[in-house]
Amino acid sequence: MLSRIANNLYWMGRYFERAEHLARYTKEIYFSSLDAPILEAYDRRFVLESMLYMAGIFDMKNINEKDVLHKIGFDRNNPHSIISSITSGRENARGAQNIISAELWEAINKYYHKINSFSEDVFLSTGLYDFSQVIIEQSSVVRGKIRSTLLHDETWAIILLGTHIERAIQTIRIINSKLNDILKIEQSGYSVNDLSFEWTTLLRCTESFDMNRKYYGSIPCKEEVLEFLILNQLCPRSIHYSLISIKEYLSKVSKKNSLEIDSSSIEFQIGKLCAHYEYLTIDEIKDDIYSLLNFTLGQLRNISSNFEQKYLYN
Amino acid sequence: MEQTQNNLFEAIKENKNFFDEVFSAPDVPKEHYQKIYKRFSKFSLQDFQRLFNDAKNAFFDQGVTFSVYFEDKKPDERIFPFDLFPRIIPSTEWAHLEKGVIQRNHAINLFLYDIYHDQKILKDKVVPSDLIFSSEHYLKEMIGFTPPEKIYTQICGTDLIKHTDGEYYILEDNLRCPSGVSYVLSNRLALKKSLFDLFDNLKARSIYEYPEQLLEILKSTKPANVDKPTIVLVTPGMYNSAYYEHSYLAQAMGIELVEGRDLFVEKDFVYMKTIAGPIKVDVIYRRIDDAFIDPLCFKPDSALGVPGLMNAYRAGNVTLANAPGTGVADDKAVYNYVPAIIKYYLNEEPILNNVKTYRCGIADEMKYVLENVDKLVVKPVDESGGYGISIGTKLTKAEIAQVQDRIKANPRKYIAQPIMSLSTHSTYIEDTQQFEPRHVDLRTFCLQGKDSSYVLKGGLTRVALQKDNLIVNSSQGGGSKDTWVLE
Repeated sequence: MLSRIANNLYWMGRYFERAEHLARYTKEIYFSSLDAPILEAYDRRFVLESMLYMAGIFDMKNINEKDVLHKIGFDRNNPHSIISSITSGRENARGAQNIISAELWEAINKYYHKINSFSEDVFLSTGLYDFSQVIIEQSSVVRGKIRSTLLHDETWAIILLGTHIERAIQTIRIINSKLNDILKIEQSGYSVNDLSFEWTTLLRCTESFDMNRKYYGSIPCKEEVLEFLILNQLCPRSIHYSLISIKEYLSKVSKKNSLEIDSSSIEFQIGKLCAHYEYLTIDEIKDDIYSLLNFTLGQLRNISSNFEQKYLYN
Repeated sequence: MEQTQNNLFEAIKENKNFFDEVFSAPDVPKEHYQKIYKRFSKFSLQDFQRLFNDAKNAFFDQGVTFSVYFEDKKPDERIFPFDLFPRIIPSTEWAHLEKGVIQRNHAINLFLYDIYHDQKILKDKVVPSDLIFSSEHYLKEMIGFTPPEKIYTQICGTDLIKHTDGEYYILEDNLRCPSGVSYVLSNRLALKKSLFDLFDNLKARSIYEYPEQLLEILKSTKPANVDKPTIVLVTPGMYNSAYYEHSYLAQAMGIELVEGRDLFVEKDFVYMKTIAGPIKVDVIYRRIDDAFIDPLCFKPDSALGVPGLMNAYRAGNVTLANAPGTGVADDKAVYNYVPAIIKYYLNEEPILNNVKTYRCGIADEMKYVLENVDKLVVKPVDESGGYGISIGTKLTKAEIAQVQDRIKANPRKYIAQPIMSLSTHSTYIEDTQQFEPRHVDLRTFCLQGKDSSYVLKGGLTRVALQKDNLIVNSSQGGGSKDTWVLE
């Protein structure tokens, strides 16, 4: 496969994954705030700041709902906005159109046109829910086409490698943002006896609420939610699950057996990170979640840039 | 004739100035159109409009589109207009066309070999030497070089029209990178989806073998020392207006679609950069013009090409399809000599008619053209896409003077032809919600390889959607139709 095409496929996977997480987070945070139990803590500014934190936007001067939603959702000059991510994902797919299946291309194209023709005025007034829902649904259609209309060869593996690197990164960002919210509530002076609402929101932001309920059978609490989203190997939204997937898809691209892996390689790096996660317990990390998340984020950035150097820009 | 149940065809009136492809008289379709006419007459306007919209949406979803870019606004994506009323060519008429197109391409290949080698045709003064040597498409890099299997034009797109006399005439040959074949294939697919019952009554000949035929033709002209060639298609990139076609063909042939930057030349061999390291490339179907293929040889600032490609080509290590330097033969001033070229090399009479052409490079002919600009079509010899063409009857006095000045400034650049009356074909017009006559032409696609020729059955019928417009190019608001050759 051409390195340029591999580059397109990798970024296509990343962009579509990114758009979905950002859309879901924006929607969940906004709607959960409308009837939150600690309403005093939840003024609109608090919600908007949480969205901006997740979107990585720290330079906005006047924070008002319209501008924030525009910046995150529809700002074509913001390369990380939802619309920019979907446009970039589709442009990358277009550049690799002859490599992916016609079915996948058409699904991506329809997805793009649905979003591109969505009225920004509607989005800013009454359409936040619908807009995000279209993205979440179209994303699963695209995922389904990737799974069922592509040969499970290196094309498929590179798309999913990008997808899972981005998923791990976005899940970390979501946990970070929500932890930041919770920290703010705790520091605000309001007496908070029960934060289960916050942990539920975090689960919804990662589409994991039902899975969590099924796994623990109890009302969400800090230890369980963090254990679930960080360490659980069965939850397809957990960081650990994404790391295992990255390792697996990378091996399908590099086609190296375990004897060929030396300690300077990306395969070694991701293997080591997976091993680290495998023997972690929530008790070890619960008091300093931030350091684990930041360490993992650093490792992922490293793995990603090494992969790009070795395979995409040669 | 049974009474029609809608008024979709009300606008079809008798017009002696043009040949009508569909009707002999209003309400009287020609024999090969009777079944379709009957079918279309049964539609309610709403049903037909719905089919028309569905077909449009299908093109949009498949991304068969081109983009118009704006500053600070989202780009507008548009489909190439597609008409649901197919153009039908009876089998005997087609057989004649097919023979004529193959004959023409065959002779042009022999001509290209000759002018880059012994130049017999020039020495015999059948074609004037100055015409060839003054063409910017005559490449000195090709002199004395023989491409694999002596094939210069693996792909040839010949444009034809039907005049008032009901005869086909050649409008021009496209020997560089003729485009449009993907529309032929997607038009057929769209028509099949919308009007599948039409195909029960009439047997249209298949066109889907085109990509396989093209692949075979490309393989057959591989470099001599290669066993199983690696074939790629080189595109200028996804912002090129024909990008959809490039990617469609690459996918249909199962070959890599590459850009110049994916390729490099080392020791006169061409390689592509892949995730598994460099892979040698043997045959390049290039959709980049000569001037851009190799910055070391031609335009030094070309970012689309591959430095060193011409050396690799001349060393015989890679095939380029079409060969560089073929543009000298589709020059509109050389067009006039093609009948003579056919007689010279094949000793046969030309099967297809040429349109009378005046070359402004010749003093007498220029004089005639200058005096008759109002009655002629004046074309630059070396442009494509319908640019720079002036049609005499549509010009104001001031515009005529401008055309005269342009000709005088650079006579070699212009030719003129009588205004040919392109035939008309019923075409659905959305604004008036009925079928109206619109001018059409036909681009044929002829492939030539080692010991074999192939012509795509039918080709691309282009239609000028604006009333009375004679220019059918998509860049000038043209659309297209599915084209059927009957069994």
